[in-house]
Amino acid sequence: MTDNSRNRVGQPMPMLDAEERVIGTVKFTLDHMVPDMAHARILRSPYPHARILEIDTSLALQRPGVICVLTGEDFGPESGINPWYGQRRKDQPIVAIGKVRYVGDPVAVIVAETEEIASEALFDVVVEYEELPFVVDATDAAKAQAPTIHDEWPDNECGAWHLEHGDIESAWQDADHVFEGVFTSPSANHVPMEPHVSVAQWSDDDGSAEIWTSTQSPHGVHGALVEILNTQPEKVRVHTFNLGGGYGAKGGVKLEPMAVCAARKAGRPVRIALTREEVFQTIAKHAATIRIKTGVKSDGTFVAREVDVLWNAGAYAVSSPRATQQGMVRAPGPYRTPNVRVTSHAYYTNTVPTGPFRGAMTSQVCWAYEQQTDEIASNLGIDPIELRRKNLLRDGDTYATGEVFPHVHYLDLLSEVAQAIDWTPEDAAVQWDGRSRVARGKGVALLIKHTATPSRSEARVQLNSDGACQVFSSSVEMGQGARTTLLQFVSDELGIPLENIQAIQPDTAFTPFDTTTSSSRTAYSMSFALREASNDLKEQLAKVAAPLLEASAADVEVRDGGVRVTGSPEAGLSYAEVLSEAQLSELAGEGVFQSPEGYGVLDDKGQGIASVHWHEGAVGLEIEVDTTTGKVSIVNCHAASYAGRILNPVMVRQQNEGNVIMGIGPSLFEEYVYDSGQLVNPNLSDYMIPSFLDLPAKLTSRSLESNKPDAEIHGVGEMTLPVVGPALGNALYHATGVRVYDLPLTAERVFRALHADDLEEVS
Amino acid sequence: MIVEIHHPHSLEELFATLDGADGEAKIVAGGTALVLMLRQGLIAPSRIASLQRIEGLNEIVERNGYVAIGATATLREVAATELVRANAPALATACGLVGNIRIRNAGTLGGNIAEADYASDPPAALVALGASVEIAGPDGLRVSTVEDLFTGFYGTTLDSTEVITSILIPISPEMTRQAYVKYRSRSSEDRPCVGVAVWMRLEEDSETVGELRVAVGAAASTPQRFTDTERLAHGTVLEELPIEQIADGYAEQIEALEDFRGSAWYRKQMTREFVRRAVDSIVGEGKVA
Repeated sequence: MTDNSRNRVGQPMPMLDAEERVIGTVKFTLDHMVPDMAHARILRSPYPHARILEIDTSLALQRPGVICVLTGEDFGPESGINPWYGQRRKDQPIVAIGKVRYVGDPVAVIVAETEEIASEALFDVVVEYEELPFVVDATDAAKAQAPTIHDEWPDNECGAWHLEHGDIESAWQDADHVFEGVFTSPSANHVPMEPHVSVAQWSDDDGSAEIWTSTQSPHGVHGALVEILNTQPEKVRVHTFNLGGGYGAKGGVKLEPMAVCAARKAGRPVRIALTREEVFQTIAKHAATIRIKTGVKSDGTFVAREVDVLWNAGAYAVSSPRATQQGMVRAPGPYRTPNVRVTSHAYYTNTVPTGPFRGAMTSQVCWAYEQQTDEIASNLGIDPIELRRKNLLRDGDTYATGEVFPHVHYLDLLSEVAQAIDWTPEDAAVQWDGRSRVARGKGVALLIKHTATPSRSEARVQLNSDGACQVFSSSVEMGQGARTTLLQFVSDELGIPLENIQAIQPDTAFTPFDTTTSSSRTAYSMSFALREASNDLKEQLAKVAAPLLEASAADVEVRDGGVRVTGSPEAGLSYAEVLSEAQLSELAGEGVFQSPEGYGVLDDKGQGIASVHWHEGAVGLEIEVDTTTGKVSIVNCHAASYAGRILNPVMVRQQNEGNVIMGIGPSLFEEYVYDSGQLVNPNLSDYMIPSFLDLPAKLTSRSLESNKPDAEIHGVGEMTLPVVGPALGNALYHATGVRVYDLPLTAERVFRALHADDLEEVS
Repeated sequence: MIVEIHHPHSLEELFATLDGADGEAKIVAGGTALVLMLRQGLIAPSRIASLQRIEGLNEIVERNGYVAIGATATLREVAATELVRANAPALATACGLVGNIRIRNAGTLGGNIAEADYASDPPAALVALGASVEIAGPDGLRVSTVEDLFTGFYGTTLDSTEVITSILIPISPEMTRQAYVKYRSRSSEDRPCVGVAVWMRLEEDSETVGELRVAVGAAASTPQRFTDTERLAHGTVLEELPIEQIADGYAEQIEALEDFRGSAWYRKQMTREFVRRAVDSIVGEGKVA
């Protein structure tokens, strides 16, 4: 048996570079500079939808210090560049070609000696536009007479999915009660502390590009640049350093094509760093309207649920055509409802493009199904905890996708959060007397989500002759602690102390393929690849060491950082001794995680195995509502998720609680506001995020673990965020008797709802 | 265009700097407002003159029955200085509630007034306390009440060659009470949705109201007082102060504006609520200044 006392997995360790982070010496991608670097600023569209008639760059080019201006005219056939890119649809140009589709759409990239000169030159570029009719709301974009945003998709369709499980039409006949409601969730920004940044350089000698960029998916960017530049994979190299937050905002291609093409044109390395306003204009959360209808028996048993989700994709598809399928899969909620129908449609609009937002496509649908679940409970006079207990998925149940879940943990999660907030049957009643200034109430919410599938993670672990080990992985450290937890994992797999293991920062020339660091997939899939790589290395060590130990490879064991003959009292050889005696400078093992064939593929009724890995999360909270202002504050909050096996309790706790903190903003006050197609609050004064003073007075969390020592590792990066909104909505109802269907729960919105009857002036 | 940054060491040097810029110069004190405006492209001055190296401009002293606060005293200094806390607690409170500690450590009271941002805490307190500002210009000094200084949305009577040098808060006689109450509708670091400052003088019997001033900030383009409504309090005893009537009067008369912190309608309702809370706070447990 291995000596468990030396294990690093399961140890509550801070991030390996915690001290450097606190004192400010950690290098972020934003800090990266290269010699002779020029700086670029992006000229953006002032119109939501317009044809570009002419771009005159002559004045800008006369300005001292301006090197070049990149426009759509640089991408003619002779350029050799494929200017249209996109994860799912190649609908997005490097910079606008022919027309602009939202306010903030890049029109030109101005490269200059300094950022200041480039900023000044923004005013020198004269663009003549012909304004076109525009559409901001997805409901309007879906209408026949709506303006067409992309000629190739004249109906503005940007993702359409359908799920059908059981026999919903006859199920309505079996229902004693049917509940129906419409819920809305607005767009929001991820607000990563570090803005997007890319530094690119181009070599005319061999037509190669090298880029340092703030991305969650270095290999995704690599693949896209290879296509855009119409070149071979080895001609493009993508690096990332630490990201100052990602949350989905840095998934996929963002500034990289602009930076590379600007560097190519300038003949100089070029850096583009976004301003905060530009971060708001680059990527946002999907606004959504959710119509949800549930049929139940008198005893509260769910018999049918129908959900129609309308997503606002913004001006470019990004992930929407596929993400809408993920949203569809999650829309029924974690319940054993036998008859389910879901439709999930996204439409292009003339607004900021949308993409995954921590717990992608889940906050919106969870806001609807968890509030409706509570509405059903209150209407039937059933305790909402009991109603959930009756209907939540349990081991062996079939989900709406037709997949049978052998092991789920919803009942435990429900008990965990209900106990943490001292839920009693009295809490199901409305608490407010209609007069007192403060009303208190409790609420819970649970969710189901899944990790993006199919996906692939490759890893390499390399042992050097001095016994030190290098881990080559493209998993991105963005504050979540992935590097620390993965090194803890490798330390145990190889029996090498942590201080002798080094992580190599993502670099597509050296760190092998990984689909992306998102969707709470890293701890699960990359640890799988690292285990394979470690086993591969250990097998090789056994083969190399066996002749040195005068034994056969089958008779030697590799453990605790050394190789010895099984059963022999001899000390054997350390890894370093094996390599030096065998005269090897290094030895490397490789491993791959690949989701199984067919996983992630659903049939035309949304049936199939949607994912390799499902996520379960819950939150319970208690709020105070100031009924004289409508302001909601959280006095107690407990978050819970299922983690399987915990690699590092500190990281897991920070994810569970960080999720809650991030979830408070879009639940209580964050939202994009558009006026005449203009985003009017793209700064952190008009668009506020929570401060530490807005945290729950008491915030705790727990991750449930399997009792099996080698249980599957579950991602925990997102599971307790989407539940915050509906738990607040439910708590608001229990506090005051008022239910709000539209996010966020601003003080004014709550105040209006509270006083709708007694204030005539409410309008 | 390249911006020239000047660091004059005296008011004379400052005026020379401003004079040479054809009205295209801006004065900066703490920079918390000016830098935001520069970054958003709202202003494009050719020259910026900093007040930071002008000696003595940040002193807080007692002078001739006033607390005199130098224009470049930071909001943090104003909030923490005992002289202010003892004599103008409503102002100390208001300054201590602006933004967050980083903003309060940089932003100055003079800059706050000169910017005339409606969504700010100190202006309402200054108006309720009857504060004045000393303004220096090339032609000499002038004094204006803060109330008269504000002319509208981000507007003041200051012209581009003038600078606020100090803020004068009359030291209140015995038997006065004051308070500032801030309402944030969003984050705890937000600007006010509504901020209400109250100042009250009691007669010698220590229960009859001699004078009440109520200034509502952030709800309209400038701090709002309704003197007819204030006078409802005069001559009443504390226990019978018509708080509801005063609160209703303010809610009815205020011409509230709309922004991301609330609609005009909501601001009227919050004006009622926070006028009520502010007056109530000094009736109950207000500090005697």
